[in-house]
Amino acid sequence: MEGVSEVLNLFLSLDNFMAIGIGVLIGVVVGAIPGLTATMAVALALPFTFSLEPVTAILLLVGIYKGGMYGGSITAILIHTPGSPAAACTLLDGYPLTLQGKAKKALQMALYASCIADVLSNLALILFASYLAKIALNFGPPEFFWLICFSLTIIVSIAGESAIKGLIAASLGVIVASIGMDVVYGSQRLTFDNYNLMDRVSFVPLLIGLFAVPEVIDFYLKKAAPHVRAASSGLGLTLKELRASLKTIVRGSLIGVIIGAIPGTGATAASFISYSEAKRRSPNRQNFGKGELEGVAAAESGNNGVAGATLIPLLSLGIPGDVITAIILGAFMIHGLTPGPVLFQENLTLIYALFCGIMLSSAVLLFVGHGVIRYFSLVADIPKAILLPIVLMFCVYGAFAVNNSVFDIGLMLFFGVVGYLFNRTGFATAPFLLGFILGPMFEDNLRRTLLIGRGDPAIFFRGPITWLFVALTALSLFFAVRRYWQERIAARPDAAPRAHPGTGDSGR
Amino acid sequence: MPLTLKRALRVLLLGAALPLVSTVHAADWPTDTVRLIVPYAPGGTTDVLSRKVADLLQQQIGTVVVENRPGAGSTMATGQLARGGRGSDHTILMASPGHTIGPVLYDNLPYDPVKDFRFIRNVIEIPNVMVVPASSPYDSVQAFVEAAKTKEMTFSSSGVGSSIHMSGELFKTMTGTQMTHVPFRGSGEALPALLSGDVDVSFDNMPAVLSHIKSGKLKALAVTSREPSPYLPGVEPLSKIGADLGLGDFVTTAWFGLIADDSMPEEAVETLQAALDKVMEDQSFKDFIAQIGGEAASQEGDDFRDYVAQDVQRWQHVAGQAELQ
Amino acid sequence: MTAAGRPRWVNLNTLLGVFWLLAALLFLFHLVPNHIEEPPMVQNPLQSPRWLPSVAGWLVALLSLALIVEGCLRPPVRDPDAAEGGAPAWRWLLMLAGFAAYWLLFEPLGATAAGILGTLLLFAAHPVRRPWLYLLAIALPWLVSLLFVHVLNVPMPSGTLWD
Repeated sequence: MEGVSEVLNLFLSLDNFMAIGIGVLIGVVVGAIPGLTATMAVALALPFTFSLEPVTAILLLVGIYKGGMYGGSITAILIHTPGSPAAACTLLDGYPLTLQGKAKKALQMALYASCIADVLSNLALILFASYLAKIALNFGPPEFFWLICFSLTIIVSIAGESAIKGLIAASLGVIVASIGMDVVYGSQRLTFDNYNLMDRVSFVPLLIGLFAVPEVIDFYLKKAAPHVRAASSGLGLTLKELRASLKTIVRGSLIGVIIGAIPGTGATAASFISYSEAKRRSPNRQNFGKGELEGVAAAESGNNGVAGATLIPLLSLGIPGDVITAIILGAFMIHGLTPGPVLFQENLTLIYALFCGIMLSSAVLLFVGHGVIRYFSLVADIPKAILLPIVLMFCVYGAFAVNNSVFDIGLMLFFGVVGYLFNRTGFATAPFLLGFILGPMFEDNLRRTLLIGRGDPAIFFRGPITWLFVALTALSLFFAVRRYWQERIAARPDAAPRAHPGTGDSGR
Repeated sequence: MPLTLKRALRVLLLGAALPLVSTVHAADWPTDTVRLIVPYAPGGTTDVLSRKVADLLQQQIGTVVVENRPGAGSTMATGQLARGGRGSDHTILMASPGHTIGPVLYDNLPYDPVKDFRFIRNVIEIPNVMVVPASSPYDSVQAFVEAAKTKEMTFSSSGVGSSIHMSGELFKTMTGTQMTHVPFRGSGEALPALLSGDVDVSFDNMPAVLSHIKSGKLKALAVTSREPSPYLPGVEPLSKIGADLGLGDFVTTAWFGLIADDSMPEEAVETLQAALDKVMEDQSFKDFIAQIGGEAASQEGDDFRDYVAQDVQRWQHVAGQAELQ
Repeated sequence: MTAAGRPRWVNLNTLLGVFWLLAALLFLFHLVPNHIEEPPMVQNPLQSPRWLPSVAGWLVALLSLALIVEGCLRPPVRDPDAAEGGAPAWRWLLMLAGFAAYWLLFEPLGATAAGILGTLLLFAAHPVRRPWLYLLAIALPWLVSLLFVHVLNVPMPSGTLWD
């Protein structure tokens, strides 16, 4: 066919291959460095794409995006510092694995899970883009509202040892997230007239503060440093282990694809949903959060499943689902292209050439990831007395770089202390983070739904998608409560069952 | 002595890499890298436009670096600019309606949006478009206003205090209809609700909706500029078709122009203005403007200042009517 | 499992419960009414900017009550590590000094110098034995800040003290 040769003509150029290779490499490295996010790397690369061919330019940015999505997991696993927000879920099991001397297994699992999810996500983009875009369009505020409710129910499953404490942490996260200007009325909430708080608490300083800084504090407050076995050595992932997690990876990828296709949800939510789903189904449920390879697989497949799928609303509707795709949209515009249905009609060759490149990027990710892991895992061999001050320095610079604000450095250190106190008193930080992310989405969509329904509550149940998520929410709550109950009884057969106000409220 | 010591220390600490390349021009400016501040996150119209401008400016005045400093609806970066200080004579900022709406929205901003800046040049203006979903029963502004008198309509925006939101509020007060504002976080989140018909109308920026109008997913009822836009033939200005509905003065355009701190020397402003004149002539820039559905703007210096001052007044008025703070 | 001489109900969870209960009440009855502006007209209580923070505040209050009850009925098993003695005071004081250097001196000293100072303080806090490693504490922040400024284009403060 003539079309095929045209596509290949456009795709098969050295520039494209280099763009993908360099892009993925930059993405992985930048993603891995705490405080530097893939968003920043994509923004920085944008000006360099002006002089490139459109396909090459987009592929460079997509490469960085995908690399960054994966790269965040490396430092999350090795030094408890999520390089990117979505990797916060990966460290729940990744870091305990490192402490057990199984860093190599965890890193490889993260890589394979990411790559498999990436391929599946790309396939969804190529094969079902128009179909998924339709779903995305049917996802209005009410549907979103129930999706968030469903996501909130997973807090119980990542609550750590105490469900009550987990729920307190999540509520606190919601409160912290409500700081800033109100979205409907524009009035001030808990800003105390501080200019720096008008725009909400910045996410990256909070994230680094909550996870990386407590490690630093803990190290200097302990008498004897815990001895961590050399991490770069150790056994690699076996085929058997990969196969055992394959189902989880595929499930995580599908969750990622659906979440990714809906603008505005994001990879972090996807990775947590995938994680909690894997935990719910796993026979080793008790081991989740203590170093379970399947947990790493679930988290990483969830967040990388998003990467290809966020391009669905971008390419087929011209709607960017997150900041990175917004920048990629900018790159299209600069090259005189406007993504959307028109692009599919007028420039199908270009779209297919892009698809080829995007598929290739998954393979490149596997290759580059292997190389990067080898060098990065040496980081874990550095004595902590040297490593942690340097990590902190990166964190400080990174926190500053988000908004060029010293206030954010203070914020990061503050949340570091909060995170440390949480750890010492048995509060899990992951529910806090999830509350912080989901709280505003919950509120926004609740209010939007009421606004577009003009106060009529019937809009909350307006179609099959809402009912689906209502059912999922109810089921998830039911299972969570039942499991909680069973574990209680199993743990203390003599203890009398007590009333428990906390668990039932998690969906609110 | 201490001065030189400090200087030496500083050079040592910062590395001697500071005086990189700086093309020397007829005028003495610039002597350093010029920084173009984008007060919004990367992506989005302001960012893309700034990068295009920086790219073309670069060919004339030497290195221009774009920096994104999002926060508090552009007022964070603008506040930093107004503080002046070192490097402020080499710093320019791409201002947009956020610059004139910010003071309405945030109390006690540390700067005055008109007095504290030098106004270099307004670069482009982009009309907003009054769009309804393809499934909407209303085919004209008249029909819409008629219906809005009996039924409460909803309009979406990319957030409280965006020019989209304010245009909607303006429409409300001018037509005396009751419309409910449904805020989203950014155009990307707002569009699906409009496309699917969850909200009734939006006064969205042209670049965000142009391709959807062309593909028939949205219906354009009117543009908000004074003249019809060449990119939407057949769509009349709101001020014309809505004249008998009380919309005779309805003109809101998103403008994008360069400003600087008032400490920027006059010759720098002149150099920039001359360079910008050439940028505006560049064919690739013209193509770019056409693509996002904008029009070249011409106000320079004091004209631009007056233009901005008018904008501030108008939003203040709208906000007063809408009981925003 | 409780330490000798203390009643059963004095334990980590009851204390935490009391702390969060008080914090929640303070939040609900002081911060929410005084620091969240209620717009003049709100069509629906669910639309109020105070709604979600209040709900979250009440959740914290209820849950901390539950935590107190749980602490009384089933005192938590004490973690043997937790009882272990802490580090010498100078160590964490140096760490705090390092944090303070980053936060308070970032603008006056500039990113580079603050980074060097912070890293040196932390190196000294858990003494790094080999002297040449302290050179690393100087070289790395310097290189990294150069990277941020020149490659990543971040306008790091260069220090107001040096002007």
